[in-house]
Order: sequence, then structure tokens, then C-alpha cells
Amino acid sequence: MRLSLYVPGDTWVHRLDPMTKLLMTVVGIGLTFLLPSLQGGTLLLVLLLAVLGSAGVLHRAAAVYVGVAIVAGTFLVVQGLVYPGNAVPALTLGPIVFYREGLLVGLRLALRLYNILSATLILVLVTHPSDLVEAVVRRGASPRLGYVIMAVLQVIPTMMATASTIMDAQRSRGLETEGSLWVRLKAFVPVMGPLVTGSLIATEERALALEVRGFSGEGRPTFLKEEVIPPYATAARLVTVAALAAGIAGRWLLGW
Amino acid sequence: MMSERQPIIQARDVHFHYTPGRPVLKGITLDLGPGATAIVGQNGAGKSTFVRLLNGLLKPVEGQVLVAGVDTRQMTVAQLARTVGLVFQNPSDQLFKSRVLDEVMFGPLNLGFSAQEARERAEAALAELGLEGLEARNPYDLGLAERKLVTVASVLAMGTPVIILDEPTIAQDQVGVRQLGAIVDRLARAGRTVITITHDMEFVARHFQRVLVFQDGRVLADDTAEAIFAQPELLAAAGLQAPPITRLGQALGLPATVLTVEAFVEAVRAGEG
Repeated sequence: MRLSLYVPGDTWVHRLDPMTKLLMTVVGIGLTFLLPSLQGGTLLLVLLLAVLGSAGVLHRAAAVYVGVAIVAGTFLVVQGLVYPGNAVPALTLGPIVFYREGLLVGLRLALRLYNILSATLILVLVTHPSDLVEAVVRRGASPRLGYVIMAVLQVIPTMMATASTIMDAQRSRGLETEGSLWVRLKAFVPVMGPLVTGSLIATEERALALEVRGFSGEGRPTFLKEEVIPPYATAARLVTVAALAAGIAGRWLLGW
Repeated sequence: MMSERQPIIQARDVHFHYTPGRPVLKGITLDLGPGATAIVGQNGAGKSTFVRLLNGLLKPVEGQVLVAGVDTRQMTVAQLARTVGLVFQNPSDQLFKSRVLDEVMFGPLNLGFSAQEARERAEAALAELGLEGLEARNPYDLGLAERKLVTVASVLAMGTPVIILDEPTIAQDQVGVRQLGAIVDRLARAGRTVITITHDMEFVARHFQRVLVFQDGRVLADDTAEAIFAQPELLAAAGLQAPPITRLGQALGLPATVLTVEAFVEAVRAGEG
């Protein structure tokens, strides 16, 4: 079972170090708010899609886009109907009238949503969570914080698998888990009891196992893997920062 | 309905996979009836998957499993639990009551026994496993070996015609292993069908009349314990070894395959005589 959305690959984006991809994501989100116009938002979306496409993860990104389409659609409908500045009718469906001004506002909001999502997906789809955590810890973040993040990522699929086994064990003792709401509610305690107890025991044992391996020792830990930063990472960072600078300049100097 | 001569469990060309294209069971056909049957084999051979098909937790992808003459696809696990009891390997996967007695009564109550009947069954099962006096204890205050015995008792108390034990001897000391062996013997004598997955070959040699050797999703061999342990090549192919006393007897050239220390001593003395 896999919790993270990471898609393995060997593209130039995959080979970038996590901090560069983190920078790209942060700048992407920053530019989303710096460029509120339709043109600026569209240009940013094209750039982000180009990065995702070159990483070979557009198919996975598409699944996420479809998932949030209902939110984007809601922006369009609500703004198209009730935006206070609505004046020019754009679409009439029987008694329902959508206005141009509201639809444009909704479109800008939807673009903003997809831009934030796309920028985040550069990190989520193309960066393994453990690599990101390790990169952050290398730069001074607390190893405890790193462990907590990784533990949370790991414990959820583990708990899901355990819950399934517990359910099987209780059904094997005649517990009916299928049927009416009451039947399902009655099955809740026999499943949750061992799950919670087991998780607490596992957490304690994991903490003990960490302690006996020197987790609380003083000094900075070393790392199992060498951090590999490709030569083009510097260029990628410069281009990313340049994009941010261009966005700032465009917003305040050119009125984008 | 099942005729009297029909085996209680019939597997017919059973195929199963968790992921399409990666078969776990590849056409298993066998009958299981009264007596003690051990299922042995390497990890990943398909043993646990097979027993989960017997109580309906999993359904065959191809073929069918009949329990008391009824296809498991037509019954829920809870319904099948009246016929097939399964003790899981890890006791933490099922214990949830705050008292041992309540835990052991859980299965019988699910099967519709009255509270009094369930209590009597639970007390009898606990006594059989040497757990008298622990009725009021919290299962999680017990050691792993005792917790495991509580899970065995909880299924034993259900009184199912078929009892499946998944690695029952893990974490048990000699006393626990002897108690489990005595239960297997008693259930087999009483005409119940006892099926056990285990890597404990001494336990198999001492208590099981029939041994199924699983390898790579197939039944590599199906014979008596004596016949199976007389074939070192077969065992090696399945990643197994006969019990040390059996291998010692083979190394000494004893004419018969000995399965226990007692049989070994008897065979050596007979040889001397």
C-alpha cells in the first residue's frame, strides 16, 4: 500500500534535488498571487504544466485536476450568478442567468486554484517524501520533526492494513460487518479496540527501538545517502528566482 | 446438503490472486475431513491465503471451495464462522475486551449461544488451555504466549467442526506447545477437522496425521507425516527440514522414519535387541 503520490521516474525534474523543487513550488504559489490577471494566471499554468509534462506525470496530475474540478466549477457557478459586480449577461439557462463579470472572476479563482495545485504537484508527484524530509533535516530542521512527518506518512497505510486484518479476525469469530447501519456500528468497537491498542503498543515499541539506536543522542546525525545535486540545479534555481522577479516587476512596473 | 461421507471442506481447482497476473494459488484440489492436517511450506507459498479461502475471507478467482457442501461465495464470513473457526497468528489482531472471559465469550455469543451457554463454553475452553484464574484479567496485561492461548480459547469455545490454527506454537514455551498439541489430539479424536499452518516440524511430527506441503501456490505433496518426513529431497525443495530426531534416525540408518524421541528410543532399543 502506498500513501504518497510520488511517481518514480528518471526525468530532469526527478533528478533535481528536493530543495530546488521546493523552491519551484514556493515560487509557483507566490506567482499565483502576484499574477491575478487571466493572462498572467494562464501563462503561469502553461509553465507549470510544461514542468509536470516534462516530468512525465501529467496523467497523475490530471487525476488530481479532475478531483478538484467540482470546486473550480463551483467558483464559476457561484460567481457567475451572484458576483456583486455582475452586469452583462453571458449565458441564460431558463430562469438562470450567468454574468460575464462573475464568470471571469470565477475563472480567475479557478486558475488560481489550479496554479497552486500544479505548483504543489511538482513537489508531491516528483519528490519522494523521505528525500524531501531528509533534505530539510540536512539544512537544520529537527530530526524529531523529520521523524514525526515520516512516521505519520508510514503509520496510515500500516493502520489501514492492520484494520483490514482485525476486521478479518473478528469476522472469523462470527462478527457480522455487512448489513444495516446498526450492524456496522456494532462492529465498530471490536475493530477499533485492537486497532487503537495495537497502534499505541507499536508506537511505544518504535520509540524504544529508536532510543536504543541512539535517536536522542547529541550531535547532528549523518545520513545514509549522499545528497546528489545535479549541475543544472543552479540554473533551475536561477530561472525560478528570475521568474519570481519577473512576476514582481510585471505586477508593479507593468501592471500585469 | 453435505452427505455423511462427503469431506467437510472441498477445494476444487482453486486459483487466487491479489493482483492480476501474479497468481498466489495455482489450481489447488483437495479434500479436508476429520483429523489433524498440517500445512507446511516456505513463506509466500500460499498457506495463509489458502486457509482464508476456507472460511470465506477470500473468494476463489477460479474454481470453488465448498464448506459442508456449500460454495463459500454464497455465504458471508460470519455465516461460515459457524462451521470454520480461524485463529489468527497475531493475538493483537483480535483482542478487544477488557476481560479474558468476555473475550472468549465473544465468538459463542456471535453464533447465537445464550449468555449462560457462552460462559460455560468459554470457561471450558480456558480450562483446557490452562488459563483458569485469568478470567477477570485484561488480555493486554498477559504475556504474548498467554494472549495467544486466549485467542485459541476464543475460537475453541465456538465449537466449530473445523478449526484452523495459524502458527499456534509461535512464542509458546514447552508447556504451551504441549497444551496446544493435546488440544489438537483431542479435537482430532473427537472427529473435528483441525488444520494448522506451522513452521514447527516437531509439532507437526508429533500431532498431525496428514501433511500438505505447499510450494509456489501448489500442493507439492499430500501424505502422512511419516511419508513426508521420509523424503529429505522433497522437504529441501520446499525449503523445509524434518525434525532433528527424524534426521538423526535417518543418519543412523534406522529402518523406519521416526517422528518423536519416544519412537526413536524404541527403534534404537529394538535394533540393539
